[in-house]
Amino acid sequence: MKSSAESATRPAITLSNLTVTKGEQIICQIRNATIARGSTVGITGPNGSGKSTLMRVLAGLETDYLGNCDVAFALSDRVFVHQSPYLFRGTVLANVEYGLRARSVSKPARRQLAELWMARFSIEHLAGRSVSSLSGGEGRRTALARACVLEPALLLLDEPLADLDTAGTECVLAALHELSESTILISSPNPLAKELAPQLIQIGQ
Amino acid sequence: MIREGIQEALKLLLRLDEAVIDAATRSLWVSIVAVVSASALGIATGLLLARKSFAGRSAVVVMFRVGMSVPTVLIGLLCYGLLSRRGALGEFELLYTTWAIVLGEFFLALPIVVTLTHGAISRLDRRVFETARTLGAGTVQRSMTYLREVRLAIMLAVLTAFSRCFTELGIAMMVGGNITGRTRTLTTATALETARGEFASGVAMSLILLTIALLVTLVMALLSRGSEETEL
Repeated sequence: MKSSAESATRPAITLSNLTVTKGEQIICQIRNATIARGSTVGITGPNGSGKSTLMRVLAGLETDYLGNCDVAFALSDRVFVHQSPYLFRGTVLANVEYGLRARSVSKPARRQLAELWMARFSIEHLAGRSVSSLSGGEGRRTALARACVLEPALLLLDEPLADLDTAGTECVLAALHELSESTILISSPNPLAKELAPQLIQIGQ
Repeated sequence: MIREGIQEALKLLLRLDEAVIDAATRSLWVSIVAVVSASALGIATGLLLARKSFAGRSAVVVMFRVGMSVPTVLIGLLCYGLLSRRGALGEFELLYTTWAIVLGEFFLALPIVVTLTHGAISRLDRRVFETARTLGAGTVQRSMTYLREVRLAIMLAVLTAFSRCFTELGIAMMVGGNITGRTRTLTTATALETARGEFASGVAMSLILLTIALLVTLVMALLSRGSEETEL
């Protein structure tokens, strides 16, 4: 049995010889990678290099792989945001509160946290709006707020900056800084700014 | 003859003819009870078949699909066998009661609700399941989420089942027996009145059937349009 000190210093993610195949084709391959707890890491690589697949493996949504993928956090502590996020029917507020409801957070606390994170993503004015009337950028910010409000140990964001204008990107940047305890992985086809992701992992090279 | 029949039918309806109203309310009651109970079981079964893998799942799905096209007289025959004195449920003495018709219509509605619910949930975007899971929703919250995402399709399934039950004749005739004041429904009454040469009464019953069927179809059309607009 590992001691608590040992498990606290264990890296958030350790990957070795990870290979995901679809039929005959290899869709994601990583030789070795270690990601420390509490770090923000950018996963970059061209389209089709397997960034999304890696995110899905780390989120526990893809279980058919070869090699070793050791994630220090339970599935309930990992939150994944799709490249093209899905918003459930209903209002922005109901979406942001979704995961808190799953964690049985009391209604007043839920509302307070949702309002705080909606403000951080500058969508507080959209709280009562139906998600079907949102623009692409507003929808993305709603999905990001819905994930960040849970303050997960591991936050996996698949191309979170698509659809966002400069103000939106700055907003996401500031909001992610609030998650100092979380390990955050951000995938992007383009190089990411140092202030967003100080550490970079390139795949598909 | 048809015009005279319609005129006579309107007179019967306007003076709220007791026999017509009695058959109409019974038809509505039987169909509503059958569809509500079939929906409670059918929606849960459709959800389960769409989301849980188990041996023989495909066979069960096909069985329900086939069940959608089973003729009502066959369902009536099976229910008759089940409810007759020597049948498995014979001791409850339900044959020739409205409960017998409810049971038959329950079996008519169940495959419709199961198949349409299963189809709607199976066609949902994969991200719905993944998003609910990654946000930590438990089984109950996830199930409620899927049902909410396909709620219009489920409402359509329930209305389709209601439409089918409300207008069926075979079951009501075989296990209801068309007894005046006890098990007579709009469809059995229409068949009887027409056979007796009481054309006006037959037309009056058919008009009510047609009006309610049209109303249901109208609601279904509005729901379908609403669903398309929401998905745009």
